[in-house]
Amino acid sequence: MLRWPSWEQRDIFILSKGHAAMALYSTLAVRGILDRETIAGYYQDNGTLPAHLDRCPEKGIEVSAGSLGHGFNMGLGTAFGFKKQGSPRRVYALIGDGESQEGSIWEGALFAPALGLDNFCAIMDHNNLQGYGRPTELCSFEPVAEKWTAFGWHAVTVDGHDPDALREALQEDSHGKPKMIVAKTTKGKGVSFMEDQLIWHYYLVTDEHRRLALEELA
Amino acid sequence: MRNSFINAIMEASTRRDDIFVISGDAGLGVFDTFKAEHPDRFLNLGVAEQNMASFAAGLAMTGYKVVLYNIIPFLLYRCYEQVRNDICYQNLPIILAGIGSGLTYSPQGMTHYSVEDLGIARTLPNLSVLSPIDPVEARLAAGFALSSDTPVYVRLAKRGEPEIHTRSDFDISIPQVLSEGSGTALLFHGSIGEEVLRAALLLKEQGIVPRVISVPLVQPLNFAVLGELLGGISNLVTVEEHYHSCGLGSTLREFCTQGGRSFSLTTLGIAPRYIHEVHDNRGMRKLFGIDAEQIAAAVQLASECGSADGRRP
Repeated sequence: MLRWPSWEQRDIFILSKGHAAMALYSTLAVRGILDRETIAGYYQDNGTLPAHLDRCPEKGIEVSAGSLGHGFNMGLGTAFGFKKQGSPRRVYALIGDGESQEGSIWEGALFAPALGLDNFCAIMDHNNLQGYGRPTELCSFEPVAEKWTAFGWHAVTVDGHDPDALREALQEDSHGKPKMIVAKTTKGKGVSFMEDQLIWHYYLVTDEHRRLALEELA
Repeated sequence: MRNSFINAIMEASTRRDDIFVISGDAGLGVFDTFKAEHPDRFLNLGVAEQNMASFAAGLAMTGYKVVLYNIIPFLLYRCYEQVRNDICYQNLPIILAGIGSGLTYSPQGMTHYSVEDLGIARTLPNLSVLSPIDPVEARLAAGFALSSDTPVYVRLAKRGEPEIHTRSDFDISIPQVLSEGSGTALLFHGSIGEEVLRAALLLKEQGIVPRVISVPLVQPLNFAVLGELLGGISNLVTVEEHYHSCGLGSTLREFCTQGGRSFSLTTLGIAPRYIHEVHDNRGMRKLFGIDAEQIAAAVQLASECGSADGRRP
């Protein structure tokens, strides 16, 4: 039974890489939280949903996000609030690997362990593609997981396309620390003409693209 | 001013368990009592202003009334986008308590002055801005901010400013007439109060009595009430320890174009440039034409000839 969006004791999911809003909208639609009419108004004149997130908790959009390095830190504050209130609620924040170049991410990374935020879990979409290049080529931040571990986080690396591995990592005990799941992913996974292609950060999906992609994914 | 504001927050904290104070590594000694009484409701989030502002937004989403305390450049400038996106865009009821307004910290240097904060705040819809002139207004500003369900920025100077108001039961959201006068109105906000009062005394010796008005709620400024308070007035002189190009003066320039009434306007304030001169606070005020003597001279000129803007030093 769907208890959300009115369920006040829900865990919080924050899409810090707010440019992936369409993925969140789609997920919420599949879950029946966003209706078909709302989805149809995505990115339309006189529409309903902008390309980056405009906060609306009733629709499952917990924070406004689009500029990088904001949602992660809001998530820390929210997790801290839940801790203070003795609430079992947890906070999950999905960040990008390019987003991890933001100084604010590392400000939060420094403070979260000191605050004992073991109710906070960040997931890094580590697809090694950002707006205009590859993170590892611009300024390699490898080894990623080791960096977070050094900051006092419980960091694990998983195949981001393996739901079982993700589920296991999410359930893993973080021993009182905030958790970072480095999810290794391939952008456009499963669609041959999109896979690992920078340009698909920008391209619009035509009906033909859609037909071909669905054929490959079927 | 600062202590009155903090004391009001502390008093409220004994009645309310939702008030949470976050400092950005500022306020040595200021929060000792609060920390002792409410150790679980205070955090020093260090020299990490972006995280501090976003963190405060996230904490506010869980129902806390967050007071974010820092020196103004590190409260509004360093983390402008966090204040814009996370606090104001999401319209969260956070109190941004900024200290060191104007040239309070002179001669610490330009990095520590806040002479453009109102200009920045004017770009932030949803944000109310209070710039109290004395401890009485600072206390009322705390009350306003605590009861607001939207973001509020309170622009404070330091501690030790004299009390200007003789009563404390007025509405902080509208301009306040401090002393009656006619012909010319002298409008101001923030820490420049003592200069304004001295200017009024100097003017009185010359038989010039302007209507002296404090404008604590600079944003949104209630033009309707202000218009009512300006009956019989034809000259406006604004004074502020802020760039005159983007503060109260420029707001009143908009006011003058909207009301259908004709005013001459003189805007006294800091010239919009980076400050390399080394002076103490009084020396700076003298340099920028906002000490008592130059305020008095501008009011005299405005009273005699209309605007004194063209003659600003």
